[in-house]
Amino acid sequence: MQSQTLRHRIYLFILVAPAFVVLFGVVIYPFFYNIVLSLSNMNLRHIRDWRIIGFGQYIKVFTEPSQPDFYVVFLKTVIWTVVNLFFHVVLGVFLALVLNQKEIRGKAIFRAILVLPWAVPQLIVALTWRGMFNYEYGSINLMLTQWFNIPGVQWLRHPLEAFIAVIITNVWLGFPFMMVIALGALQSIPHDLYEASDIDGASWYHKLRHITLPLIRPVMVPAITLGTIWTFNNLNIVWLVSNAGEPSDQTHLLVSFVYKAAFNFYRYGYGAALSMVIFFILLVFSLTFMRKSKATQNVYS
Amino acid sequence: MVRRKNTTTLRITASYVVLMVFSLVALYPVWQIFNISLRPSDRLLSTSLELIPANASFGNYSALFTERPFLLWMLNSTFIALTVTLTGVALASTCGYAFSRYSFIGKKIGLLSLLVTQMFPATMLLLPMYIMLVQLHLINSYLGIVIMYSATALPFCIWQMKGYYDTIPTSLEEAGKIDGCNEFQTFVRIIFPLAAPALVITALFSFMSAWTEYVVAAQILQDTELWTLPLGLKSFESNMGSEWGLYGAASVIVTIPVVVLFLSLSRWLVSGLTLGSVKE
Amino acid sequence: MNARTALRIAVAFLSVTLAVVAVTTLDSCGTGRDHRIRLTIWHQDRIDIRVILQRQLDRFMQLHREVRVEQLFKETEELRSGFIIAALAGQGPEIVYGPADQVGPFEIMKIILPLEEVFPKDWLAQFDPRGLTWYKGHLYQVADKLGNHLTLVYNKKLVPVPPRTDEELIRIGKTLTADLNGDGKTDRYGLTWNYTEPFFFIPFMTGFGGWIMDDAGNPTLNSRGTVDGLKFIKRLRDEEKIIPNEADYNVADILFKDGNAGMIVNGDWSWAGYQKAGLDIGVAPLPLITSTGLWCAPMVSPKGFSLNANISEEKKAWALELIRFLMSAENQMESARELYTMPTHMQVQQSDFVQQNDILRNSRIQIDRGRSLPVVPELRAIWDAMRPSYQAVLAGTMTPERAAEEMQLLALRRIKEMNE
Repeated sequence: MQSQTLRHRIYLFILVAPAFVVLFGVVIYPFFYNIVLSLSNMNLRHIRDWRIIGFGQYIKVFTEPSQPDFYVVFLKTVIWTVVNLFFHVVLGVFLALVLNQKEIRGKAIFRAILVLPWAVPQLIVALTWRGMFNYEYGSINLMLTQWFNIPGVQWLRHPLEAFIAVIITNVWLGFPFMMVIALGALQSIPHDLYEASDIDGASWYHKLRHITLPLIRPVMVPAITLGTIWTFNNLNIVWLVSNAGEPSDQTHLLVSFVYKAAFNFYRYGYGAALSMVIFFILLVFSLTFMRKSKATQNVYS
Repeated sequence: MVRRKNTTTLRITASYVVLMVFSLVALYPVWQIFNISLRPSDRLLSTSLELIPANASFGNYSALFTERPFLLWMLNSTFIALTVTLTGVALASTCGYAFSRYSFIGKKIGLLSLLVTQMFPATMLLLPMYIMLVQLHLINSYLGIVIMYSATALPFCIWQMKGYYDTIPTSLEEAGKIDGCNEFQTFVRIIFPLAAPALVITALFSFMSAWTEYVVAAQILQDTELWTLPLGLKSFESNMGSEWGLYGAASVIVTIPVVVLFLSLSRWLVSGLTLGSVKE
Repeated sequence: MNARTALRIAVAFLSVTLAVVAVTTLDSCGTGRDHRIRLTIWHQDRIDIRVILQRQLDRFMQLHREVRVEQLFKETEELRSGFIIAALAGQGPEIVYGPADQVGPFEIMKIILPLEEVFPKDWLAQFDPRGLTWYKGHLYQVADKLGNHLTLVYNKKLVPVPPRTDEELIRIGKTLTADLNGDGKTDRYGLTWNYTEPFFFIPFMTGFGGWIMDDAGNPTLNSRGTVDGLKFIKRLRDEEKIIPNEADYNVADILFKDGNAGMIVNGDWSWAGYQKAGLDIGVAPLPLITSTGLWCAPMVSPKGFSLNANISEEKKAWALELIRFLMSAENQMESARELYTMPTHMQVQQSDFVQQNDILRNSRIQIDRGRSLPVVPELRAIWDAMRPSYQAVLAGTMTPERAAEEMQLLALRRIKEMNE
C-alpha cells in the first residue's frame, strides 16, 4: 500500500524512528571508534600516543604468519557456522512440525523440556558438556563403552574430535531457538490450505515442500540470517568447551583471534582491523543471502 | 479407511518416540546441573553415571538466599527484563509493521542496517562503549542498561515481526478499511492479534536477552546493589575454586522463570488466520 | 489519521517511556544522600577472602566515619581488562588489588601510580621484600599476602607421609594407583593435577633446571629443563601411569575431593576448600628431582594494592590510609589464621601461629624455594607460546625437544607482535 500524504509520513516516522534512534545511538559511536582504531597502531607500546598509520593492521591480518593459520581458522569458522545452522534449522523445524500435530498430548511438557537448552545459563552448561567429553570420566564415553561397547573417543585431545565436540554442544544449545521460531511460523499457515490439498490427495511430502516450507520462509529467513551471524561470532561456547582452544590452540574461530589480540596481547589496532574484516565477511554474506531469498519482499504478493 | 488409520497411529507413535528421545537429550545435561546444585563441596563433575548424587542436599539452595543477595539480584533482573520486554514488543511490533506494509525511502537500507548492527564482534566494542556510557552518565543506571539491551534485541525482533506480518494478507486491511476502521484501528484490532505468535517470540527473545546478558551489565553496573542475576552468578566463579554448588542452584532457579514465561506465552502460539477470514 | 489516533499513539509511547523512567529513577534515589567520601577496591578474591575483607573494611569504616569503602569482585581476566578499560577512560576504582603480574601492563599503560614516595621507608621496611613489587625502578604494588604458589596437597588417609623426592612420589603413586572394582579401569590414581596448563608445569621445568625467561625478559624456553620436564610428565602418565589420562582443573579437583587421588598439585587457594569437603589434608613442598638435585620451584606471587593513576588528591590520602590499615599486623594475622595465607608483615611471619601451624610451615618452605612471578607484560606471550607445543607433546604429536624449540620461537614472535 502506498500513500504519500504528509499524514502518512508522520505516522511512519513515529512508528520507526524511536527504535532507530536508540539503535544507532548505541552502535554508531563504537563502530566508528573501531574504524579509527583499525587504522591505528594502538597496542601495548602505544596505548595513549597512538596515531593513524593507514592499512598496516589490515595487511597484518591477512599476511602475518599466525599460529594457527588465519585461513585454516577462517575455513573452520565457515564450517562451524554452516554445520551448526544446518542442524539447528533442520532439527528445529522438524521438532516444530512434530510438536505441532494436533494429535499430540502433553504439548506443554514437551515444550518446557525442549526449550531448556536455550533457557539454561551458558557457562555452567558449557562446562558440563566439557565434563561429559572427558575421556575417562565423561558421560559420553561412559555411555559409549558401557552401553554400546564402543571404545571411548579422545574428544578433547585431538583437533578434529574437539571440533566435533564443540559443534555437538552448540547444536544442542541452538535447536530450541529455531524450534520456537518455527512453531511461531507454522501458526501463520492457514489450515484451509492443508485441507484443500488433502482433498486433492496430496502426500505429506508434497504438503511439506509446497505449502509448509515456502510459507514459513518469511519468518525463518530472519532467524537463519541472524543465526548465521551470531554463530559465526559465537566465541563463548568454543572457548569454554575447549578450555580456550585446546588441543594446542586448534579449536578456534576467527573471533577468538580478536579476543586474544585485545585481551591477551593488548593489540587493539590489530583487533579492530580483524573485527572489521569479520564484519565485511558477514556483510557480504548477508547481502547475498538477502538478495537470494528475497527477504525484503512480501510472500503473498 | 483402515490403512489410513494405521498410518496415522504409526505417525503418532513415531512422533512420541522422537519427542521422548529429544526430550531426554535436552534434559540430560540440565539434569547434571541440577546434580551439581545438590552435591556438597562444589563438585562440578562427577565420575559416575548416577542420577542422584550421594550425599545430595538442598543446602545450596538455602545458602543462595541466606548467604547471598540472590533475591535482590532476581528483583533487579526482573525489573530490567520486563521493561526490555515491554519496549521490545512495543517498538518491534510497530516498526516491523511499517517495514512490512509501507514502502518508503530508505526502507531497504533501514532493514539491512538492522542486520549490520549485529555483525560486529562484541569484544572490540567494549572500550568505546564504556567511554560512551561514562560521557552520558549512564554508568550504574538502569536506563543505560535498558537502552543497551533494547538496542541489541530489537534488530532481530523487528525483522521477525516484519517477516510475520508479511504472511498476513493485505486484503485483511482492505476489508477493515471497507468496514470503516482507520489504519490504527485496523492495526490494533485485526493485525496485532493475528501476529500473536510473532509477538510471543519477540517477548521471549527480549526477555531472554535481558535476563541472561552479562558483558554489558558488567560494564554498566559497578554498584553491587544494582547487580543482575548474571553478575551475581559470575561472582560465584573464580579462576580456580568456583562455588559450583551455589552456581548450580542459581542456574536452576534462573532457568525457571524463562520456562514459565515460555509456557504461559505458548497459548498464543496458535494459528489465528484462515483464508476464509476475508470474504471474497 | 485523525487527532484521536495520534493521541492514542502518543499515549502508548508515553506509557512505555514512563515505565522506563520509573525503573531507572528507582535505583538512583538511594545514592544521592550519602555524603561520605567513597573509595572502591576492585579485586579477584574468592569468597572466603571477600568475607574477611568485608569484615576488615567494616572495621575501617567504624574508625573513620567520613569514608565509605566498597569492594567489587571481578574474575581475574576481567579485573585486568576491566581496570584497563575503566582507567583509560579516566575512571576506575581508587585501589586495585591482585597478583603482581598485573603491574607490568598497568605500568606501561601508565594507569597506576608509583608508591615509593608516598609510603615512608620505615613503614615499607616492616614487610617482606618479596611483597613489594618494584618495576623499572619504581614501587607499584604493596602486598599483604604472599603466595599463589603450587604445593603438593595430600590426603592423609591415603598418604600418611608425603614424598620428598620424585622417586618417592612415583613409588607412592604406584602403590595407590589401582583398579579397585576389577572392571579394567583405574579407579584411583596416586597423583592428579591440572597438568595440561603451563602454569602447572612450571615447577617441573624448574626442577629440571629450566626457567621461562632471563633477567632482561627474553624467553629461555628452549632449554634442557623444559625438555626433561616434559619427559617427566609424560613418564608419569604413560610409563608409571600414576596420573589420569586427561585432567583439567575441575577433573583433578573432583578426583581428589572424592578420594580417588592420593595427591594433587594445587595452590594455596584450594586448601580451605578441601578441608571444607571433609578431607584430612596435608600440605607439603613439591619434591626434589633426584637426577638434578634441584627442588621443584613453583611461581610465587604477592597479591597487593596498587593505586589508580586517575585518583583525586582528596581521595588519595584516604586510600593510603586504607592500604596501611589493611596491611597492618592485626589484619594480616586474621587472614593468616582463617585462610592460611602467608603474610608479608615480618612480625606476623615470626609469630607463633605462622611458625608452628602445619600448613603454614610447609607453605613457607615452598615459598622460600619458589621463584618470583615475573611482572613484565611479555609473560602473557610466554604462556600463550607454551600452551600449543606443550599440549602437542601430551597428545603425542611432538617430541619434547621439538616442543621446546617451538615454544621459544613462538614466544619470540608473540613478543615481537606485542611490541610493534
